Amino acid sequence: MMQGSISNRIRTLRFMNGEMSQAELGQRIGLTRQTIAAIEAGKYSPSLEAAFRIAQVFNVPLGEVFQWDVKATPLKAS
Amino acid sequence: MSYREKIAWLSLIAMAVAYGPYFMFVARGPGPWEPLPHLHPLGLFALVSIVRMLILGAGYLYLRLGSPREERPPLDERDRAIEHRSLSAAYYVLIAGMILVGCFMPFSSTGWTIVNAAIFWIVAAEVVHYSVVVASYRVQASS
Repeated sequence: MMQGSISNRIRTLRFMNGEMSQAELGQRIGLTRQTIAAIEAGKYSPSLEAAFRIAQVFNVPLGEVFQWDVKATPLKAS
Repeated sequence: MSYREKIAWLSLIAMAVAYGPYFMFVARGPGPWEPLPHLHPLGLFALVSIVRMLILGAGYLYLRLGSPREERPPLDERDRAIEHRSLSAAYYVLIAGMILVGCFMPFSSTGWTIVNAAIFWIVAAEVVHYSVVVASYRVQASS
């Protein structure tokens, strides 16, 4: 299985959108401030629907909010 | 700390304060109530349940008055995921306990020993439920 982790640019996008607060973003997409904080910190992966809603708020494609960082795995000698 | 985490802590504390002494007391074995085998244990359990309800009631009131409405939002998807995970963990504890109490204990124990064992496993399942809730919120807290 491919190893990797999800990173996001929510903090940057909030800053670029008039320093939008976590509470305001959460209110607009139906999540709590704590959940937005957990997503930003990479400690909670949102549902696909919530991810699309976040991208919609910032008016950017999903890929600009969330990225899949692939971890390099050593090749096995065959 | 979120409102839901505070509620989970309150539930854990209420259970520890009420059922901790109860199980320590009943673990000592039958007491001087032998002539009326059901009255004292029932009374003790009723008292413990009332104490728990009082702690929970006072705690809920305190937390509700101390938290503005915006700090008590409806459940979101993360809260539901945490609830689902904690209930799943508690279910396994409860089912294991009930199998032990219902299938094995009748061959070795009787009466209030079986009843208290059943109560113990219900309380243990609740403790696991709220512990997983607290742990999940702690792990996912950003600071």
